[in-house]
Amino acid sequence: MSSPSRRVSSAIPWVSMVARLVLAGVLIVAGLLKIDTPALSVEAVRAYELLPVSLTPVVGYGLPVLEIVVGVFLAAGLLTRTAGVAGALLMFVFVVGIISAWARGLRIDCGCFGTGGVLEAWEEPNYLGTILRDIGLVALGVWVAWFPPGKFALDSALGLTSSRDKDDDEDLDKDEETV
Amino acid sequence: MGKGARDQSARERIKAQREAERKQDQRRRIATIATVGIVGLAAVGAGWWYAASRSTPETIAQSLAPITVTSDGTAVMAKPGVDRPVIDIFEDFQCPACKQLEETSGSTLKNLAAEGKAKVVFHPVTIFPEQMNRGITRANSVRAGAAMRCVSDGQQWLALHDKLFKEQPSEQAEGFKVDDIVAWGEAAGVTASGFAECVTSQKEAKAHLDYGATIKIQGTPTVRLNGKDLDNRVAFNPQALREAVINAGG
Repeated sequence: MSSPSRRVSSAIPWVSMVARLVLAGVLIVAGLLKIDTPALSVEAVRAYELLPVSLTPVVGYGLPVLEIVVGVFLAAGLLTRTAGVAGALLMFVFVVGIISAWARGLRIDCGCFGTGGVLEAWEEPNYLGTILRDIGLVALGVWVAWFPPGKFALDSALGLTSSRDKDDDEDLDKDEETV
Repeated sequence: MGKGARDQSARERIKAQREAERKQDQRRRIATIATVGIVGLAAVGAGWWYAASRSTPETIAQSLAPITVTSDGTAVMAKPGVDRPVIDIFEDFQCPACKQLEETSGSTLKNLAAEGKAKVVFHPVTIFPEQMNRGITRANSVRAGAAMRCVSDGQQWLALHDKLFKEQPSEQAEGFKVDDIVAWGEAAGVTASGFAECVTSQKEAKAHLDYGATIKIQGTPTVRLNGKDLDNRVAFNPQALREAVINAGG
């Protein structure tokens, strides 16, 4: 019984797992590189010139830990769908921020990995590369939210997979047998 | 009761039982999700609080160490006899990251100097190139840098230095207007004779730019400890900065 569609659907959980781990890795690394120097993180947020200055510390302090927590949830496959949505949203916000900085002619570095967002005089911004990378990460987040939780997820161990996913395979079959 | 009826009631019992199990399962699932969600939110909150506490600047605990303005336009803040470790600060009054450095670590630098644990040297420079924003950003920076050379008293120099960072204009718009700088200088207690004229004519602009041209730095702010560039992750973290300086002192 290895019809092509079967094989494709059995590959989905593996793809979800890989998507989770890649997105989680990027988020955790980005968060860890920033969390020890909140002032630089605040400066990176400020460099986008999108938020009122009074709000930049709130976001600058919160962003690194938010990235780490979402990353840990994704890696563990915990509340996978929510974490996938959160990861995709985070990346989407970054894409919007970078496009807007580019459109306004700002010369900044994305500040993604704790460099403070300000380019040195000789550096050239790499907006396109950053946007493409982050769009790819948005796509991973959407995939994870669409096909949670993937292999080796705590959600499965804790029985947290939403009833819909479960009904699709196990419960329905059982119901048909017993009723 | 007939067989059919018995089957019927058995079937209903099983159905009810399954329904109850399903409900219990549902409750358990919701409880787990809520717990995990709360733990996640609490972690974000704790991390936020940690970050906020990590970046709280030191409070200035005592009167400042003596400050001397030198002939090359730099200012040295140190207790008499303290000549190591040396912390060099290369900063541009118009650079937002330099303002952030001042806000985050400025008080640590003052405290370290006052405690006799370091000699702090401020080097005002202009980093912005002419081609950026049709020269507006660079002109702002030069007006501020040149004005600092009109102050000869160290205490007054540092007071105006702090005031300029506090009043830093946007990089996109004209700011640091000479009249404003004169007013800020007077508010900061600058008594140098000819201060207003010196600021307004920008006669020190060339000396300021010439000094900057002799400095080889990667960008602003650059913080050097005993001549070696400090990572921004240290410079922008008051605790790490203090630690690095104390370790370099021994």
